Amino acid sequence: MISLYKNLFYQSLRIRMVEEKIIEIYPSDKIQSPVHLSIGQEAVAVGICNNLLKTDLLYSSYRSHAYYLAKGANLNKMFAELYGKVTGCGKGKAGSMHLAEKSVGFMGSSAVVASTISHAVGSALASKRLNKNQVCVATFGDGASEEGSYHESLNFASVFKLPVLFVCENNGLAIHSTIDQRHSYKIHEHAKSYNLKSTYIEEGYDFMKINSLISETINEIKLTGLPQVVEIKTYRYKEHVGIGDDHHVPYRSSKDFDNWKSVDPLIQDKTLINEFSEKINAEIEAAVNFAEQSEFPADSELFTDIY
Amino acid sequence: MSDTKTVISYREALYQSMNTALSESPEVVIMGQGVDDHKGTFGSTSNLAEKYGKERVFDIPLSEEGNTGIAIGAALNGLYPIQTHIRNDFSLLAMNQIVNTAAKYKYMYGGHFEVPFLIRMIIGRSWGQGAQHSQSFQSLFAHIPGLVVIMPSSADTVLESYNYAVQKYKGPVISIEHRLLYDYNFNSNYNSNSNSQFKENPFTSRLIREGSDITIVATSIMVIEAQRVSDYLFREFKIDCEIIDLHAISHFNKEMILKSVKKTGKLIVADTSWRAYGVCAEISRIVCETDPSMLKAPVVSLGMQPTPCPTTKKLEDLFYTDDYTFTKKIIELVKGKNHNIPMTERSMNEAYKNFKGPF
Repeated sequence: MISLYKNLFYQSLRIRMVEEKIIEIYPSDKIQSPVHLSIGQEAVAVGICNNLLKTDLLYSSYRSHAYYLAKGANLNKMFAELYGKVTGCGKGKAGSMHLAEKSVGFMGSSAVVASTISHAVGSALASKRLNKNQVCVATFGDGASEEGSYHESLNFASVFKLPVLFVCENNGLAIHSTIDQRHSYKIHEHAKSYNLKSTYIEEGYDFMKINSLISETINEIKLTGLPQVVEIKTYRYKEHVGIGDDHHVPYRSSKDFDNWKSVDPLIQDKTLINEFSEKINAEIEAAVNFAEQSEFPADSELFTDIY
Repeated sequence: MSDTKTVISYREALYQSMNTALSESPEVVIMGQGVDDHKGTFGSTSNLAEKYGKERVFDIPLSEEGNTGIAIGAALNGLYPIQTHIRNDFSLLAMNQIVNTAAKYKYMYGGHFEVPFLIRMIIGRSWGQGAQHSQSFQSLFAHIPGLVVIMPSSADTVLESYNYAVQKYKGPVISIEHRLLYDYNFNSNYNSNSNSQFKENPFTSRLIREGSDITIVATSIMVIEAQRVSDYLFREFKIDCEIIDLHAISHFNKEMILKSVKKTGKLIVADTSWRAYGVCAEISRIVCETDPSMLKAPVVSLGMQPTPCPTTKKLEDLFYTDDYTFTKKIIELVKGKNHNIPMTERSMNEAYKNFKGPF
């Protein structure tokens, strides 16, 4: 049996290679959708989703390729969606920013910051009322913690004692604004004022550590039925939206980037990269081919599924 | 059941629909500010928490955006939430969730998700409601594809629409109620044996009075006004108005309106909100885009004055359309400006005169 480390590594590498493929394809304009790449942040999605069942519901943001894949949704349908094809997970109407796959409990990803956090709380309310025994997860960035609905969601989940895991992926950036320009508070410390348990991990590249903490957290949530917050420090390798590197722009430093890369297993563990690359590449090529061969939606699709 | 008519108030119809929702559909929860308190959302949810349990009828924090997102998430996982805004004005705090997520959820993800829930919003009027307790936002919501927006004007339109929304419809429904309708009594056929077409298709318009001289398209409490004015004009001057209760602001019966205007050649639109960019503008657009030659006279629209709502009675009386203006506009359209019909003095609908605050 494959070790836990290898399993998580494989999943993380797969996500990175999928996004690197997107970068390769992007200049061709075959993908006409704003992409918010997860490169550098894969370990967070993998460490969380490894502890979820398909019946556990997860809501994410526009930076959600990693969650879509980690939650077990189909790669062919993802590339087809990015290509705007009818075989995509959203029939081409979703694009990169609105990936979702109900059958695996990946319930939605919104382009409007923080909008899905409350959805996870509502799903947890339904789970509790209908005795479904699910954990509902909201993932979001540090910028989302500035929105009122983040605070409304934490308060509601705490008052109503709902089984929600709130995960903040803190990459320290909101587009090009650094966190010190925006925050008077520390996310994991401030969350405790809502009378819920909150934890912090510095090593957002370490899927083993994230997996272990999330495993423990989810067990506690299932046992107590109470919400928790986890804040994970991470690093966005690419620009906010698009495929470029923007470390030449002075809002952030190449030194931080170098430090992060020096501990990133997806760069450092060359042995496993070599072991897995071929298999992953084959899967990606097949998915891209599926997208290329698929049809665009019929004109009549414009008017379906509104009401 | 007999098929004799019963008389019930708007408030009783709301209560019945909430009670039916809870008793017939175990997935229904009612979540709103004060839904479980001693006033029970103006009597429409009174004692339901005691009857069905605080797990199903419960008060919530004052977090409109979060609460609406929570209702959406709950709907995505098997509940049917009914939310309340005790004034329409508060719903603006929930606009992100209503417009950016509820209205989009089915379409944006390719038809794989449904968000069935009902949001009730109440318009205030009179006794000093002022600028932020009096607004009427049907056109804001109906502008957005994906939302069903209704304005029930009677007990039966409440019962038909709410029972259908909860039991049959799979998407978000926004219902804008009028606080001053709560005390009105209506003849109700809903519980009789008669199988109303509107039980199966409530999100449409209703022809509530046939007439040959003029078409009145009205919303919410303006339907009551239209009926009062029409009865008076027919009784006194044999002016015969046709009244269409628009009801489904997002899904009104266009053919019904066009057919009526083709017959009468005259159109008045009477809405509870501002005229610019609203229901009045939309109904005029439909007629103009179809065949403006069906009009024998320019369209007249009635709504709030283009100002925020003032609090003092003196100015508030000028802000809303009164019966005198309504009557005058109809007579002028039907008989021309030199009609020689004696106009009675400025009067007000009894509800506005009798309504005592504070809320």
